[in-house]
Amino acid sequence: MALDDRSSSQELEKALAENRELRSENEALREARRELEVGLEELRAAEAEVVNNAKLASLGSLVAGVAHEMNTPLGSLHAGHDTFRRALTRLQEILADERVDPEELDEVRRIVKAVENVARTQDLAFERLTRIVAELRTFGRPDGAEVAMVDLHEGLESTLAILAHELRRGIAVERRFGEIPPVECHPHRLNQVFMNLMVNAIHAMEGGGTLTLRTSASGNEVSVAVRDTGSGIAEADLKRIFDAGFTTKQERRGMGLGLLISRQIVHQHGGRLEVQSRPGEGSVFTVTVPVRLPAGAATAGGGYDGREEARP
Amino acid sequence: MVDAMRPEGDAGTVILVDDEEMVVSALEGLLQLETSYRVLSFTSPVEALEAVERERPEAIVSDFMMPGMDGIEFLERARALDPTSTRILLTGYADRDNAIQAINRVGLYHYLEKPWDNARFMLVVQNGVERAWLFRQLDERITELDSANEELHAMRRRLLRTFL
Repeated sequence: MALDDRSSSQELEKALAENRELRSENEALREARRELEVGLEELRAAEAEVVNNAKLASLGSLVAGVAHEMNTPLGSLHAGHDTFRRALTRLQEILADERVDPEELDEVRRIVKAVENVARTQDLAFERLTRIVAELRTFGRPDGAEVAMVDLHEGLESTLAILAHELRRGIAVERRFGEIPPVECHPHRLNQVFMNLMVNAIHAMEGGGTLTLRTSASGNEVSVAVRDTGSGIAEADLKRIFDAGFTTKQERRGMGLGLLISRQIVHQHGGRLEVQSRPGEGSVFTVTVPVRLPAGAATAGGGYDGREEARP
Repeated sequence: MVDAMRPEGDAGTVILVDDEEMVVSALEGLLQLETSYRVLSFTSPVEALEAVERERPEAIVSDFMMPGMDGIEFLERARALDPTSTRILLTGYADRDNAIQAINRVGLYHYLEKPWDNARFMLVVQNGVERAWLFRQLDERITELDSANEELHAMRRRLLRTFL
C-alpha cells in the first residue's frame, strides 16, 4: 500500500509537473498567437494602406478632371456676374434720374436684353455644376457596403460624364447598350471597376480612337465590355496585367493596382473579369456578373476596403 | 476721321463662336450692355462661317477646342473669306501652346485665355473693331488711288495721242 502510495504520489507529482509544463506551453502558444494576431493586424493595416494609396492616386486624377470640368461653368458665371453688376448699376442710374425720357427706356430695353443673356449663362452654368456634383455623389457613395438593384447603364453614363474631359481629345464614344435587367451589386464598387477600365482604355489611345461600351444579358448574367482601339497588350504582358504593381504606364499614373482591385471587386460579386487583346489593334475587358449577388457576398466585406477590414 | 467711313448708325458687327452656349451668352450679354455693336453668336463653327460670309463682321471671336472644326481652322477659313476682319482666339489655359503655334497661320490679332476678364475682353474687341475699320478704310483708299492712278495713265495716254 505504502509502495502504492509512493508510486501514486510520484505519479501525481509527475502529472502535476506535466500539467505545469502544459500550462507554460499553453502560455507560450497563447503568446505566439497574440504576436501572430498583432502581425496579422499590421499586415491588414499595410494592405489597407496600399489599397488606400491606390485609391488616392485614382482619386487625385479624378479630382483634377472634375476641377477642369468645373472651369468653364465657373468662368462663365464669373463673367456673367460681372456683367450683371454692371447692368444693375446702369439700371439704378436710370431709375435715380427723375426725368426719364422715352429714349432712356430704349436704353433700359437694351440692358434687359443683355441681362437676359447673362441669365441664360447662369442657368446653363448652374445646371452644369449641379450635374457634376450629382455625378460625383452617385459615383463615390460613401457607404461602401450598400447593396442596391441598379441599372448598370447609369453607372456607365456617370463614369463617362466624369471622364468627359479626358474623352474630349480625339476619342469617340460608342454605346452599344443592350437590354439588361437591374443588377444586385455594390454600385460604387462596380463604378470603380468601370472607371479603371475606361481610364486604361483612354490611356491606351494616346493618338485618339474609339471607346466602345457594350452591354448584354445572357441567362442570369450581365456583361459589360469596355473596348478600345489603342495600343493593345503584348502577349508576354497579358499574363501579368493582374499582378500587383505591374504597370506599363510611362509616367507612373497609378500604382499598377487598378486591374488587381477591379478583379477583386468583380470576384466579390461572384463574377469574372476577362481580357482579350491584340497588340496594335486594341483590347477588350469584359466584366460579367450574376444578376443576383451570391449568398454571403453581400456581407462578406471588401477585402480592399480598410473600413470593412477593421470590423471584428 | 475713321468714323467718317462708317455708315450712319452702324457701330460694327462682332461674331462670337464657342461650342459652350454659356460662354457665348456671357460674352454676348457683356457686349450688348457695354457697346452698340451688332452681336451674332453661334455654337457651331459651320454656321458661324456662313454668317462671316454674309455679314462681313469687323471682329470674330472664336473658341479653340470645338468638335468638328477647331478654332484655328475656323479662323483660317474666316480669313480666306475676308482678310480685313480682326480675328481673336479664346483659349483654355491647357490649349495655350497649341494656340500660340497657330497664331501666324491665321493672322491672329489677339488671343485671350479662359477664364477671361470682361474689361480686357472688351478692350481687345473694341480695338479689334477699330482696327478692321482702319484696314477697310485703307483698302478703299488704295482702291481709290489705284483707280485714280489708272485714270491718270489713261489721261496721259490720251494727251500724248492728242499732241503727238
